Amino acid sequence: MNSSENSHDPLVERALVGFDLAAEHHLANCAPCQKERERVQEALQSFGAANRQYAHRPEGFWEQQAARIRVAQQERAHRSRLTLTLAPGLAALVLLASVLLHRAPVPTPAQPAVQVDYDHELLVEVERAMQNGTPMSLQAATLMVEESDSSRPMNSVNSAKESRSHEN
Amino acid sequence: METTLTPVLGATAQHITAEEFDAIVRRHQRRVHRVLLMLLRDADEADNLTQECFLKAYQNFSSFRGECSLETWLLRIAANLARDHARSRKTSFWKRLLGFDDGADEVPTWHIAAPEASPEQTLLAREEVRAVWAVADQLSQQQRAVFLLRFVEEMELHEIATALGLQVGSVKAHLFRALQNVRGKLRDPR
Repeated sequence: MNSSENSHDPLVERALVGFDLAAEHHLANCAPCQKERERVQEALQSFGAANRQYAHRPEGFWEQQAARIRVAQQERAHRSRLTLTLAPGLAALVLLASVLLHRAPVPTPAQPAVQVDYDHELLVEVERAMQNGTPMSLQAATLMVEESDSSRPMNSVNSAKESRSHEN
Repeated sequence: METTLTPVLGATAQHITAEEFDAIVRRHQRRVHRVLLMLLRDADEADNLTQECFLKAYQNFSSFRGECSLETWLLRIAANLARDHARSRKTSFWKRLLGFDDGADEVPTWHIAAPEASPEQTLLAREEVRAVWAVADQLSQQQRAVFLLRFVEEMELHEIATALGLQVGSVKAHLFRALQNVRGKLRDPR
């Protein structure tokens, strides 16, 4: 029987993939499918054996490979140990450098030399005193003005106001 | 043959000594190398990646939780390395075109050791192996890996699933399709 005409084809694959109860049940009662499975299985076994044979290496090869892996592993371990040892020191150095950079005095721009103008200073002082109140030197005169104001009769002020209102 | 981590190191091992690591290498290097050789079909690359696989395993040993066998875990690392390598090889189109990549893609058909077989049987077996390889070559990378782990390494479906990071159902689907192709090729080798 030509297997390409076998309508039970998928069952052969299913049986080959892994245990499949339905496929096994069918194959137990179907000689062509059973034969087909055996044929494919044989080819797959040859394929597996050929590949395993192909991958076969003499014992010395495995010894050399194991030795190379050991050396590479030791190198990596050494490198990582070195990194672990140096890393804190490097970090501390970087930190120290940054701290030192921040603490260094910042050069301030040079201030232009100021020429002290004594007359100007005096004027500013007088002005400030005028704003705050009467200067000490004029206190006597201020008192005199205040006294003369208080001695003037209040009526004269009122009559003046009234005369102005009558004018209207 | 399979060894779990427990007898060697204890289930919660976070670190291994150089001697323990050496013992692991010696126990599993053949299988790791063979799987890489099948996946890459380049002896030099298989050798390099076997070394890389064990170094990665050593580096990441703390991530191994003992949920699968140590060998399956190593094969997972190997499969990932092979996948990454295949990706990078895809980009080296010019290298292949100019013929600098001759060592790759050897087809191991001549390694059929059957001294008791007749010349006709040997020839037939060679043709079959060649046909199966031709099919394997046309499979997707994932399908090929599944196919090779099943029929060369004779791994169980759940082990393949763990090694390749797949569901068992996906493994079955990949195998089913691969087998359909193999049967088709065996029927009509042209």
